[in-house]
Amino acid sequence: MNTRRLGLILTAISAVLILVTTYLAIFFAPLPATSVKSAGQILSTIEGSEISVSGFVTNLNITLRAIVDIPNIIILSLADFSDYQRYVQAADAGDTSGTWWTVRPIDVRILSGGLTIDRDPDITSEIHNGSNMSVLGKVVHESIGPNSAIVGYSLDVPRSRDVTIGAPGAFSVMTAPVAQKIFYFHMPSAWVSYVAFFITLVASILYLRSRDFKYDRLAMSSAELGVLFATIAIATGPVWAKQEWGVYWRWDDTKLVTTFIMWLVYIGYLSLRAAMADPGLKARVSAVYGILGFVTMPMSLLSARIAPLLRSSHPEVIASKSGSLSPEAGMTIGVAVIAFTILFAAMLIKRVEIAQDEEELEELKRIVGGEE
Amino acid sequence: MASSWTALYLAYSIVWLGVFGYLTYLLLRQKRIARDIKSLKEEVARHGKSGS
Repeated sequence: MNTRRLGLILTAISAVLILVTTYLAIFFAPLPATSVKSAGQILSTIEGSEISVSGFVTNLNITLRAIVDIPNIIILSLADFSDYQRYVQAADAGDTSGTWWTVRPIDVRILSGGLTIDRDPDITSEIHNGSNMSVLGKVVHESIGPNSAIVGYSLDVPRSRDVTIGAPGAFSVMTAPVAQKIFYFHMPSAWVSYVAFFITLVASILYLRSRDFKYDRLAMSSAELGVLFATIAIATGPVWAKQEWGVYWRWDDTKLVTTFIMWLVYIGYLSLRAAMADPGLKARVSAVYGILGFVTMPMSLLSARIAPLLRSSHPEVIASKSGSLSPEAGMTIGVAVIAFTILFAAMLIKRVEIAQDEEELEELKRIVGGEE
Repeated sequence: MASSWTALYLAYSIVWLGVFGYLTYLLLRQKRIARDIKSLKEEVARHGKSGS
């Protein structure tokens, strides 16, 4: 079977699989449960993001009838997800006694909504158990890491009265569960870009060892495809982030920044090649660049996994202890990864073929130019 | 919720446009290169004849 036919067959297979993935992502994979961590959940605590929460007053400390002014700032108490998992397990076992939450505050400035309270004609108001609260707010100060869940509110009110609203796990803080389905295309795109840059590394090493231009063609083609898929991943990520975090981009997020640097490095690789005319020099310099530039790939890949050390809010779902995918979601992402990998293989075959044609064209141009 | 669906379809559009846009670029580029190679080969052949 010639490579052209193989490329066409692989393209057709991947197109079908991508259509299947689209169907599975939209109609088959369930929306993530709001009380269980999944990609995109419970990350709306980032400074500057808007947050929408509601609940009922379940406990008034000090007194059951507090007189308060309507606060402009509320402090949301949050808990680490690891504690939440233990809590869910304990709840299943029927024993929830003990302390489950590592409570840390974030400050939220109220944009609209607030407590439904009885108000006097003057400035004082009364709240009591069962009072409703529905707030659209903006996070103005964050002192917690990612992977936390809101378990209740404490109102920062005058006269030092402490009011707890809601109960553990009572709130939905995943602001855009539908947008989480972007993950089924975002993650395979990122995966393929990592594979592509790895192939560039291997082909660059092989070129330097053998000086065979077929490896140079492979390295260049793979890098170009890597940039394409990294661009797709970088473009789709912010669409989700805007929905879930309230911001398109975070320059203080290690995963985002390292991926962006990786993308720039391989843009540089392609630009460098375009700027050089001598084929031998171009191949040698590109090979060295392709080897050195690869250091950005593991930086991007691993940054979310060592988030406690490097601060990243990027979800890390696959192959992590706290990651949780339903079987349906797992199947969807599996099909997506296979589809994108086959698509990448088909495109790589085609791109290498074209690179070969480009070399032939350059050679012919040299011959014609020499004759003239 | 509506904006979530909009975001979802926007992201999917980016993926499809990126993939099929690039595939189209590859096919058009290959066609153009094949055409250039053909014309250059003809030119080389003509020069060869006139030179002999």
